Amino acid sequence: MQKKKILLVDDSATALMMEQMVLGKDYDIVVAKDGAEALKVAVAEVPDLILLDVMMPKMGGFEVCRILRNLELTKAIPIILVTTRGEAKNVEAGYASGASDYVTKPINNRELLTKIQRHLGSANGSGNESR
Amino acid sequence: MDDSKRDGRDSGEYALKVRDETTRYVKELLDENAKLRGRVSELESELGRFDGEKKTLEQRLSLMEIESRRQLSQFVDVEMQNANVANLYVASFRLHGTLEREEVLAAIREIVINLIGSEELAVFELDGSGAVLRLVSSFGVDEKRWRHVVVGDGIIGRAAQTGDLYVASPGNAAADRAAGEESLTACIPLLLDGKVTGAIAVFRMLEHKRGLEDVDHELFGLLARQAATALYCSSLQERIAAAGLG
Repeated sequence: MQKKKILLVDDSATALMMEQMVLGKDYDIVVAKDGAEALKVAVAEVPDLILLDVMMPKMGGFEVCRILRNLELTKAIPIILVTTRGEAKNVEAGYASGASDYVTKPINNRELLTKIQRHLGSANGSGNESR
Repeated sequence: MDDSKRDGRDSGEYALKVRDETTRYVKELLDENAKLRGRVSELESELGRFDGEKKTLEQRLSLMEIESRRQLSQFVDVEMQNANVANLYVASFRLHGTLEREEVLAAIREIVINLIGSEELAVFELDGSGAVLRLVSSFGVDEKRWRHVVVGDGIIGRAAQTGDLYVASPGNAAADRAAGEESLTACIPLLLDGKVTGAIAVFRMLEHKRGLEDVDHELFGLLARQAATALYCSSLQERIAAAGLG
């Protein structure tokens, strides 16, 4: 069974490495280091899910999320925002931009895996709530 | 024989016959009753055995539940340890994955932000005199306020003086903290071969972070030793490159 593909977007090499360590065993991983690159990779690869950092230079996660939601090719991809700001106002803004879910930094591995599985089903299964 | 005598004899025979049949019937009932009593006794004995087995099974179930809980707890512990080891591995890899000074400083910032969970930090190095900490990198703090810290002054200055890690807790609110140190969560002295070369000040933690965990203390220890080494190596590399030896 082919692994599902996740696009990781973060300007921090440390965060990307950590996420790759947690998810690399069960999923195919593609990465982007800023918002503009994320848009290109998302259109080229059409991943099954996007893990998107909110705070990035040039183009933040909310804007990337809004653009992806307006593209035919990517509008149905579940997007999980990764944020350092877990307060309600920020979370609401995330959902308003079209995000499917969010996790806070420092990332709790169990929480991240649970949320990804909620949107994708098991790593190799076919369950999918969002698409 | 007249009719009355014959009727009397018939009645007597009939009565004897009824008595005999009743006696036999009662005997049969008594026999059946005895059999049923025996069966009840057998069933009661079986029930007792089943009760015993039920108790044994309940005890085994209870033991299995305890074992299952223990294994679940072990699984959670192992998973947490794995996550902690992964954090430490990533931090160490990032610190030593480059000889570029700016990359090392970026790695320190990213470790504090992404793995420890604070967006307010300052990285200091001791100047040549060893009396002043000089700000070399920061995130989310007033750079002017933290440009210099005199060794021995406030919590940060004392951590640099003693080489002791400072971690804020309700019980150790430092009375002689310097201005701006009210939100200080931790001050990690940078140690190279046991000598202090600088310090990392971690101020307010992210709002959703519910306090420091074991892995945060491990990361403090790792930063204390490995960040100092990584900064030293990157400075050495800069000097080698500047001298045209690289």
